[in-house]
Amino acid sequence: MPPVADPSEPEFDLISLLLEDQQRLTAVEKFSQQHHAASGHLHRSLYQDLIPLSAPGPGEQYGFEVDLDKCSGCKACVVACHSLNGLDEDESWRNVGLLTSRTPQKAAPAPTPAVMQHVTTTCHHCVDPACLNGCPVLAYEKDPLTGIVRHLDDQCIGCQYCVMKCPYDVPKYSDRMGIVRKCDMCQQRLGDGEAPACVQACPTEAIRIQVVNVAGIRGEYLLASGGPRGNGFLPDSPAPDYTLPTTRFLSTRPALKDLSAADADVVQPAPAHVPLVFLLVLSQWSVGLALAGGSPWVRDVSVLRLLAGGALATVLMGLGLGALHLGQPFRAWRVFLGWRRSWFSREAILFGLYSGLVAAWCAASWQMPSAGSALGRTTAIVGLAAVWSSIMVYVDTRRAFWAMRHTAPRFLSTTVMLGAAGFGAVGALPGEPARNLAALVFGVSLLKVFLELILFRHLEATPGTPLAGSARLLLSHLARWTAVRLGSLAVGGLLLPGLMLSGVLPLDASGFAFSLALLVVSEFAERFLFFRAVVPEKMPGGVT
Amino acid sequence: MSGNHNLLRRWQGPMTRELLQKPAAFGLGKVPERLVPNATTRMVCGFCSTGCSLDAHLVDGHAVNLTPTAVHSVNLGMACPKGWEALTPLEAADRATVPLLRDERGVLRPVSWRKAMERFCGEFRRIQETHGPDSVAWLGSGQITTEELAFLGALGKFGMGIRHGDGNTRQCMASSVVAYKQAFGFDAPPFTYADFEQSDVIVLVGSNLAIAHPILWQRVLRNRNNPQIVVLDPRTTETASAATLHLPLGPKSDLVLLYSLAHILIARDWVDHGFISKSTSGYDAFRKFVAPFTPDFAAGQSGLKVEVIEQLAEMIHNGKAVSFWWTMGVNQGHEAVRTAQAIINLALMTGNIGRPGTGANSITGQCNAMGSRLFSNTTSLFGGRDFESADDRRAVADILNLSVDRIPDTNSLAYDEIVAGIREGRIKGLWLVGTNPSHSWIHQGEFNELIRNLEFFVVQDMYHSTETAQRADLMLPAAGWGEKEGTFINSERRFGVIKKVRRPPGEAMSDFDIFRLVAHFWGCGELFADWTTPERVFQIVKQLSAGRPCDITGIRDYQALDDCGGIQWPWCGNGGDAGNPPTERRLFEDGRFFTEDQRARFLVETPRPPGEVPDSQFPWILLTGRGTSAQWHTQSRTSKSQILQKLYPAGLYLELNPEDAARVGVGTGDRVRITSRRGSIHASVFITSTVRPGQVFLPMHYPQVNRLTYAEFDPYSRQPSYKSCAVRIDVAN
Repeated sequence: MPPVADPSEPEFDLISLLLEDQQRLTAVEKFSQQHHAASGHLHRSLYQDLIPLSAPGPGEQYGFEVDLDKCSGCKACVVACHSLNGLDEDESWRNVGLLTSRTPQKAAPAPTPAVMQHVTTTCHHCVDPACLNGCPVLAYEKDPLTGIVRHLDDQCIGCQYCVMKCPYDVPKYSDRMGIVRKCDMCQQRLGDGEAPACVQACPTEAIRIQVVNVAGIRGEYLLASGGPRGNGFLPDSPAPDYTLPTTRFLSTRPALKDLSAADADVVQPAPAHVPLVFLLVLSQWSVGLALAGGSPWVRDVSVLRLLAGGALATVLMGLGLGALHLGQPFRAWRVFLGWRRSWFSREAILFGLYSGLVAAWCAASWQMPSAGSALGRTTAIVGLAAVWSSIMVYVDTRRAFWAMRHTAPRFLSTTVMLGAAGFGAVGALPGEPARNLAALVFGVSLLKVFLELILFRHLEATPGTPLAGSARLLLSHLARWTAVRLGSLAVGGLLLPGLMLSGVLPLDASGFAFSLALLVVSEFAERFLFFRAVVPEKMPGGVT
Repeated sequence: MSGNHNLLRRWQGPMTRELLQKPAAFGLGKVPERLVPNATTRMVCGFCSTGCSLDAHLVDGHAVNLTPTAVHSVNLGMACPKGWEALTPLEAADRATVPLLRDERGVLRPVSWRKAMERFCGEFRRIQETHGPDSVAWLGSGQITTEELAFLGALGKFGMGIRHGDGNTRQCMASSVVAYKQAFGFDAPPFTYADFEQSDVIVLVGSNLAIAHPILWQRVLRNRNNPQIVVLDPRTTETASAATLHLPLGPKSDLVLLYSLAHILIARDWVDHGFISKSTSGYDAFRKFVAPFTPDFAAGQSGLKVEVIEQLAEMIHNGKAVSFWWTMGVNQGHEAVRTAQAIINLALMTGNIGRPGTGANSITGQCNAMGSRLFSNTTSLFGGRDFESADDRRAVADILNLSVDRIPDTNSLAYDEIVAGIREGRIKGLWLVGTNPSHSWIHQGEFNELIRNLEFFVVQDMYHSTETAQRADLMLPAAGWGEKEGTFINSERRFGVIKKVRRPPGEAMSDFDIFRLVAHFWGCGELFADWTTPERVFQIVKQLSAGRPCDITGIRDYQALDDCGGIQWPWCGNGGDAGNPPTERRLFEDGRFFTEDQRARFLVETPRPPGEVPDSQFPWILLTGRGTSAQWHTQSRTSKSQILQKLYPAGLYLELNPEDAARVGVGTGDRVRITSRRGSIHASVFITSTVRPGQVFLPMHYPQVNRLTYAEFDPYSRQPSYKSCAVRIDVAN
């Protein structure tokens, strides 16, 4: 028994005694060990009915099944995924969203019964995974036996294209590692007959692993016509006909389809991806200059050399800055691997080819100016193909704001406008050609302003859609950038060329240079907004 | 994958290895390779009163990970997010590591333990000498161990001569305590968790079980009797959403509704006359009392349809095993004791008590709420005894071998009365242990003003960052769950052990050791010569329980608790070692209660409106409650885990009905100002029809919420009524 003493006795130091005792870990020495000899998994009896007895056969794969009637929103699955997989402090591969009713009782003839319905979701291990299809380095594989979509962490270059491709917001980028990671259905556990962490941890047995029929999923999602929200999967979630998710959500709730995600009305700016902003604007500017170099309005070889040199400088700068986007740039040499399916691969290959051609064209313009024009035309054509691949990179994400009708006019007009203004600035032929260039800048700018303004019609016409969300972001969180964008475009693309065309300002290189400077600013702002104002699809989220 | 090594695709490598799993021993299954333990030990969770068992994965005695115990009667292999993340808050950067003393310039500065203790004793002694012995008070916590609560209670009352000590359990359980004491003769929740699985009708009153007690909701969903699940709650909570019958009664109409159910049961003669005559008293008066509470009257008061009320009465009648459960929706009310007793009345009159699947059952809040109720020596003398009884004082004095004069012969002030004492200048020194009233106390603005009047204010906590600790004159750094030993008592009366599996940071020490230091420096160490370790104090607590309804003299020691996976009180073991008790036991199986005549009481009182109701100026009723399963009370711990942070909104949000949202002119995500007569705060809007028009809901975990609440208390339990005040909503500028 430790002595108890009079505090006046200085030699007795209870404080030190207690502090020392406090640092001793006693659980092992004081308590006998339970399950000391146990092997295997004591939880097994709790989940053995929640995982399949046998592996999938031909035409089958594993899929999650979530019984929404049982999902109470405790979110133990999220934390168990984190703990049992040893993930980073803020990392989990599961997420729990909330569907709720929000129809005014008076307004609706038959109001949706009030309800809180939580939805646990993770990777759907899709039949046709968009992440896998988009990956430029084949860092995804779909296990031929189980159908599990697995991410190869040591292959990943951290380009995050899968993050843009996955409509369910599943792959998550890690700043620490410079790669993405995602759910692998705990395939190491499943391989040993153990349930995935989330399945083990659900107190209400709401999550299980099922063997699903691939043809059945194809049939259901590709043939089915959805309800009012048009998807037959879950409300406020991406249409399943794109990637064919294998997760089954079961519910006996009749009004499930009429519920809304708790965060359906909330829009937040998406990541800016500044290196990609530079890559896109500079590479398109380069191709514009290459197009100018192929035109008959080139005054002399010095202008040709300036255009070729400009095209080379901009594309190299673009590619160099663009590489900063990668989390693992030293693995990026594998970027061609995905060319069969990935527009990202194709873009990298085409811009690689294009920059080689620009370099050759540039060299030729110094060595043998006469050879420049044929090579210049080839370069411009490859450049246009590369710009087209850039367009397809974003179109292929199926994000509404990045659809063909929004992306193609943006990227092509950037190419033409910056090429024309740059051409004018380095000295096009005076007279009609210069006038045509100014008119081109003016016309394209007018088109851009028009296209960007008509987006705002979605605020009234289709509220609640991703496009309306983008419009809201442009007018709220991103309003300053929108002002910079439209202001610099109005001055650089409309006012200055207009004054040049009407004879108020001279139609010379200096006028074009002013215009160009403003247009470059304007295009960077436009491309910044292109990334920030996109509203990605995702599964229903929680209260924000 | 072995054939897949090639230059172009890398299936292996350092990043892949990070996620490699390895089968662990001890029946844990696969765990991350870098977290493979070399021992495990199980311990009870330190958040809520469910009392889940968790396996700490140990490497050389140090916990590196944690999973729910696979085989345990409480949690059946499961845990909620808080339990899974129980270790993380121990590592927070804002842990208190040394004592902090406020200097002349008002800054908290590190001091030695010796200096801290000298100041602690010096200031409190000076205050007692200047303003009288009763001018110092303490407020404890249901988050510390039974042994620590017993030490604090004995040290405060018998050692330091402090009469007024209370705990934060006043905020969560006091109403149930009084309801049980008056009705059953002892604070005795009768149930065992198996009752959830054995009922065929489960009635949940003011309880969002699915969110507040997810592991108990698990038991409900494992009920194989296809039970009727009835929820009485103004909001359509997760629990209500999953219920077979939800009664969205108007706030504070529960007492009328419960009386009307009794009225219907009596009118249709759906009562158990045998049980009533054998085991209860006061039935005739009760019958007369509820006569005016017709279904029509209740429908008018509650906004429910008569048929729905009748349907519930019929369900109760048809049920073979009906269990009634309540939590804070009942306890935190202005007539909470009578409401709890109205539920008890229903169980008594239908004979739904003492049988499997029945009971009038209060689910407690904190991990050791019941340890506080029975052994904190605050509201009642040790073991549920009475300070005002000479016999009880004599019994305790004999057990503790102290002079009976040291035991106060009057009761302590309740929490709100201590606060009033500060207001009136009667309380000048305050010692807080493991609680955060600057956040959690009702009408916190007034509380935070009042504590500035204290001459000396001590806060003992794991974190120096809590709203309360930042206002302290002296801050004592405490070890937390996982860094010390002791026992908790869960909602079903089960003692469970916690163990030392982590080293506390710096010079933080367990509350138990802090109490030893205080005793030593106060000069009353000789009184506590035997109180050297938690397990020795557990033996003292056993002696204090002897012959009481909560007798635990049959529990040998901590190892016995560990071996049995916890043991419910009472367990007297028939004179020592009578083997292990049955895992699940309930009270009152013989129909005999703890009152003198062994009969349960029917207790009633005329309902009255709350002190503040909506008017034209403040037209909405503000409801408060639990937000998510990942949040705990004032968030001093749950906010420290990044993974838990992902599970709840970072900022305060207001649940608002679509009609009201249209009236205010806001959409989801918009900012609003919420104003009551006591304060004004901002929140973002979440539109949902799960709150009724005219009502709004705020989750209690955000520090600003209690600036709005209206300080009203149940007259018997002195528990604050957190769930009803009047507010106005405006668009925020």
